[in-house]
Amino acid sequence: MSGVHTPPGLAAPIHPILRRAVLTGLAFGAGAVHLTVVGVVLMLHQRWIVVGTLSLGEATLLAIAAGAGAMAAANAGTAAGARIMLGLLAGAVAAAPLAALAVLIDLVSLRAIFIALSPDLLAMLTLGLGPATGIALLIAGGAGAGLLGAALQQSPRAVIRAVLPGATAVVVAGVFQELIQLMLQQYEGVVNDVRAFLYSWEGLNPAGAITIFAVTALLGEAVGLRRRRRPAHAPPRDPRRARMMRAGIALLVLAVLPAFAGSYIGQVLMLVGLYILMGMGLNLEIGLAGLLDLGFVAFFAVGAYTTALLTTESAHALLHLSYWLAMPVAVLLSILVGVLFGLPVLGVRGDYLAVATLGLGEIVRVIVQSDFAAPLLGGAQGILEIPKPRIGPYVLGSPVALFYVTLAAAGVAAFVAWRLENSRLGRAWMALRDDEDVAQALGINLIQCKLLAYGLGAAFAGLAGSIFATMLTSVYPSSFQLLISINVLALIIVGGMGSLPGVVLGAVALIGLPELLREFGEYRYLFYGAVLIVMMRLRPEGLWPSDVRQRELHARDETLALDAGSDPLPVQPR
Amino acid sequence: MALLEIDAIHVFYDKIEALKGISLAVEQRQIVTLVGGNGAGKSTTLRAVSGLLHPRQGTIRFDGRDLAGLGAHDIAATGLVQVPEGRRIFGRLTVAENLEMGAFTRRDRHAVAEDRDRMMRLFPRLRERLKQVAGTLSGGEQQMLATARALMARPRLLLMDEPSMGLAPMLVEQVFETIRTINAQGVTILLVEQNAPAALGIADHGYVLESGRIVLSGAGRELLDDERVRRAYLG
Ligand SMILES: Nc1ncnc2c1ncn2[C@@H]1O[C@H](COP(=O)(O)OP(=O)(O)O)[C@@H](O)[C@H]1O
Ligand SMILES: [Mg+2]
Repeated sequence: MSGVHTPPGLAAPIHPILRRAVLTGLAFGAGAVHLTVVGVVLMLHQRWIVVGTLSLGEATLLAIAAGAGAMAAANAGTAAGARIMLGLLAGAVAAAPLAALAVLIDLVSLRAIFIALSPDLLAMLTLGLGPATGIALLIAGGAGAGLLGAALQQSPRAVIRAVLPGATAVVVAGVFQELIQLMLQQYEGVVNDVRAFLYSWEGLNPAGAITIFAVTALLGEAVGLRRRRRPAHAPPRDPRRARMMRAGIALLVLAVLPAFAGSYIGQVLMLVGLYILMGMGLNLEIGLAGLLDLGFVAFFAVGAYTTALLTTESAHALLHLSYWLAMPVAVLLSILVGVLFGLPVLGVRGDYLAVATLGLGEIVRVIVQSDFAAPLLGGAQGILEIPKPRIGPYVLGSPVALFYVTLAAAGVAAFVAWRLENSRLGRAWMALRDDEDVAQALGINLIQCKLLAYGLGAAFAGLAGSIFATMLTSVYPSSFQLLISINVLALIIVGGMGSLPGVVLGAVALIGLPELLREFGEYRYLFYGAVLIVMMRLRPEGLWPSDVRQRELHARDETLALDAGSDPLPVQPR
Repeated sequence: MALLEIDAIHVFYDKIEALKGISLAVEQRQIVTLVGGNGAGKSTTLRAVSGLLHPRQGTIRFDGRDLAGLGAHDIAATGLVQVPEGRRIFGRLTVAENLEMGAFTRRDRHAVAEDRDRMMRLFPRLRERLKQVAGTLSGGEQQMLATARALMARPRLLLMDEPSMGLAPMLVEQVFETIRTINAQGVTILLVEQNAPAALGIADHGYVLESGRIVLSGAGRELLDDERVRRAYLG
């Protein structure tokens, strides 16, 4: 007991293990209160997971209590039975701050300060049963969830392998119910019958939830067993082939999904595709050449405006080219602008480059918006009446058709990026990234290489911009905000700097998912921020790191080991 | 005619005059050393020769050709190659990739492969580490790699900036031994060092640099015996 600090207010010293459980519970409880006060919980409460039984808000609070229970159980060094009781305690404690909040709302109205602390929230927390009963139930619910969390934490792997995927699947099926239902509704017959069985109008029905849980749990179990059954001494599968397989499957899903999923998914995927294109371009600049460019959106704008001016049917038209002629021109012009853009920042390095390019990017947007350029570029009113591309008599009007255009463009771009990476130029970029002076002293032409990085990076963004213009059939200066550059940068980092598959994963995670969560309004950026923070903590090398990056992070561990070990003394005799 | 002729160059960092009119010459097949204390201007001299800095006055001729107006990469292509101070290898690339970068300006794939084998014989330790990330090499190995990388360019003149800096005494000896070997194989070397005794010991000719001026010059052995050098560097 000595060494553990006990607050002076507590008369009897609490056993340290209990203390730990209580503190864990309080920490999770504080998190729950925070989410509640800022309004997330009530917002999530609007959404059923299981109709009439469990809302997403309730599920969130229960998950928090379960998390407290699991953590309390994991950290304790006592017998299994005792650990589960600790989980129960931590869960109850986690619910206590919420109970206090409920009492507070009941007594005084705090809505002037915290708009979310409404009677609706009180009703949710107390299940509409009035303060006394409701609060008792709230704490009991927390205790129950904590107990379950602790029990799950203590269970054998086989159970965890079944329960976690099952629960996740139910939540996903519930959250994306509208999308899934719309998708399934397109088809008559069995598919629609399955939909009707699983879903009531606004969410899963209890039978559906149980079915989904059971099926996924069984699947999780089956996959786990198959993994285990592979003999230990069997040669490990070639990681390279496994990767190619995964990439192939992902590509196939991307290619086939929109055709079946309908136009909303098509639209989301199309946006993801545009960001993949831009990601691959910026990846050349940052991932390979180490040029931290925050003005990237400028190239996207050039591609879009060039396409607009060359194809529009409005008065702004310079020419009336077909889309397929305008697109290459847009790409070429983007390259030109990329090179011009690179010139003034040739001698600028590192952090300063980020600031300088940020300025350049803004300049492009301001010019486009200006009255001075308005006769040509349309000013804030933008350029309208951009036609959709056509192949012969067939107009590529639907999001799904345009998605395939994007997919094809991304495929070509990926091939180019991949070839570049392994070329002399790619090697030169990497050398410049590591040490500019030495690279030059070995014969690498700094000016040429840097300008090529900007130009080729810009080509990808210009291509994306070109498709973007025809997708929206209009362009406005307000579409080309700094936020786009930042999004592209973030997706590269999350995916894995310098890695092509990483770009795809990053775009899906940071662009696709928030887009699907659009109905949660501004709160989806909360998700975005959380993903960024968690990623940087847990997987700084990204979702799918490049070999080089992986080597680096691995290398850092090795260096540490060396420092501690046998390195010959690097001492200068003076 | 000397291979490298530096004639009264003045080099500035903005307003600071780091080199105040120095001249020196390196003959074919020689080892020439430029010794001097910290901040004397040794690295600045090499940077000026390799085109990373441009003298405000004076000329640098390599093989009779004035280097004024050439970019660093052009100069590298003429056969002037530097082993930079502090072993600046490409830490995130592998040993093999570092060597490949050394041969960046060369197109003769076959000869490059031969040279790589030669480097493996010269530095057997690198052979075992070809796939390793260069940043994880020990100090001595990094120096070997930096030297090997420069040699991969088939330099006509090798510029070495304090190759013994930061190495344990045993490794220092090895470094100077290697420099001799390389020179014996026909490579001309301009060696910059703070370790005056060791550098002068292997040099055909030496220059002593102080505060951006050359204060003494002569045959390596001669300078080693010179009273003023002994007082300043040999204690
Ligand atoms: N990048 C720089 N900017 C300004 N001054 C510099 C820079 N590099 C070196 N100097 C100055 O030039 C002088 C010579 O430096 P340097 O050639 O690096 O010396 P050495 O290599 O002999 O130790 C020193 O006074 C140093 O402070
Ligand atoms: Mg120096």
